[in-house]
Amino acid sequence: MLEIRSARKVFYKGQADEKVALDGLSLSLATGEFGIVIGSNGAGKSSMLNAISGALVLDSGKILINGADVTAMPVHKRATRLARVFQDPMRGTAASMTVAENMLLADLRSQKRTLRQGLNATRLASYRERLSILGLGLENRLDTRVHLLSGGQRQSLSLIMAVGGSPDLLLLDEHTAALDPRTAEIVMQATVRAVNALKLTTLMVTHNMQHAVDYGSRVIMLDAGRVLLEITGEEKARVTVLDLIGHFSVKTDRMLLAS
Amino acid sequence: MGFVQDVLTSFVAIIPVTLAQSLILAFVVLGIMIPFRMLNFPDLTSEGAFPLGGCVCGVLLAAGASPLVAIMVAFAVGFAAGCCTAFIHLRFRIHTLLAGILMMTMLYSINLRIMGKSNLSVFGSPAVFDWVPFTRPGFPASKIAVAGLLALVVFLALYMFFRTEKGTAVRAVGANPDMAEAQGINVWAATIGGVGLASAFSASSGALMVQSQGFADVNMGLGILINGLAALMIGEAVVGKQTVWRQLLAPFAGAIIYYQLVSFCLAAGMPPPDLKLATGLFVLAMLALPSLKRSRGSAPAREAIRE
Repeated sequence: MLEIRSARKVFYKGQADEKVALDGLSLSLATGEFGIVIGSNGAGKSSMLNAISGALVLDSGKILINGADVTAMPVHKRATRLARVFQDPMRGTAASMTVAENMLLADLRSQKRTLRQGLNATRLASYRERLSILGLGLENRLDTRVHLLSGGQRQSLSLIMAVGGSPDLLLLDEHTAALDPRTAEIVMQATVRAVNALKLTTLMVTHNMQHAVDYGSRVIMLDAGRVLLEITGEEKARVTVLDLIGHFSVKTDRMLLAS
Repeated sequence: MGFVQDVLTSFVAIIPVTLAQSLILAFVVLGIMIPFRMLNFPDLTSEGAFPLGGCVCGVLLAAGASPLVAIMVAFAVGFAAGCCTAFIHLRFRIHTLLAGILMMTMLYSINLRIMGKSNLSVFGSPAVFDWVPFTRPGFPASKIAVAGLLALVVFLALYMFFRTEKGTAVRAVGANPDMAEAQGINVWAATIGGVGLASAFSASSGALMVQSQGFADVNMGLGILINGLAALMIGEAVVGKQTVWRQLLAPFAGAIIYYQLVSFCLAAGMPPPDLKLATGLFVLAMLALPSLKRSRGSAPAREAIRE
């Protein structure tokens, strides 16, 4: 379960270019719920994700994961509870290390790292099995250094790394945006399969309205650092791409009027 | 033919002495490689940590301490110096190179304070090399045995460590700090520990060197960094750096080859003052080679230039 209570973050406070990134944003996501976050550029989507992961320290407000207050926890401590897939395939993996070593790092995310040997036969077998689900042949390339993989392969690896160990919360930050349509579809399908199979509490940021319509149990639209709109249940089931785009234009009109 | 023979004779005559020296200095090369390659933290602290270890060892030997204790204290003090450099970088977001320059400059004064004068003779004090059986103290064989054994132990220990769960995590910090943090790795702890360990090796090298040469000097670190870098480049060119094994072997192999090369140049009559220029040009050539191969002649694009 994820709970954000009136989160507020202001960049360049007191300067001419002051920017309110999060303006008392509140949000709650029940355990096992799959939330889709949409919103125009600068609406606060990335700030929200960074605040949840700990990369951004809030000015005020609280963040709770499964009831535990993580507001003051540094990134590496929160990592034991949450996993994240970045938009940029380069950010989520260690390029100069092998596929197996990357899997090992993800495997140890929520454990205490010991002085025992990292890669052993048991682990390698389990990585082979987990990677074979993708059908990209990564299971035969465990000793390949990640920088030799394509963007799509790297992103698929990031996804497998993130969902392994069933994190309390999975954050997907436009994770298919940098991929070609076919690869994006493969990664998206793998995401949905994993989220459903493991019943992960998931928050996915996307600019793809079709994805917002097709997947998830709730659409959350952000605007100017707060939640503008939430679509759930029956309404979510009936919503169309055009409806969603309509909500964007309402905001654009208001922006025009305001300017 | 007479010239070639003379050169070879004088070169061969000092091979053991050079080997002993290079095995001792291999720890500095290791202290340069670990931050540079494993942690992506180009570090200059070794230029100050090497004489720091030497000065601490010199003072302790002069006070009558055991040579082994002197090395262990040098190791600890070097570790602290490396931790400071890493902390300066992490806390104040100062570039790693600048943090290293600051630290090595400050260490110069600290080294002078420790010794109270610019050099200190410890000739006749016991050294760890005296403990080797069947060799005459003061001869290269004992130094080769001690430094070689230490090098072997350190190499194997590091190789084992970098294959453990903790060791893999440390390498991840060098490969991609953002990713490492997102995987629950404490980037601060890994960086401070890693850079600290590297400086500890540099300082231990200084301590061994003082016991080997019989005196400590605040200027003994002058140019050690560029020599170490040259040795590392040679080592990586010869044994490679694709795997942890090769990357760890490179400093030792490089140090051995590099110092033999230097001694050969000197035997062939190269004036010692020219040595730094030659070394510098060599390091430059090794660093420039990849970029020359990629874009024939023209300078690489701005984005391609790494810090």
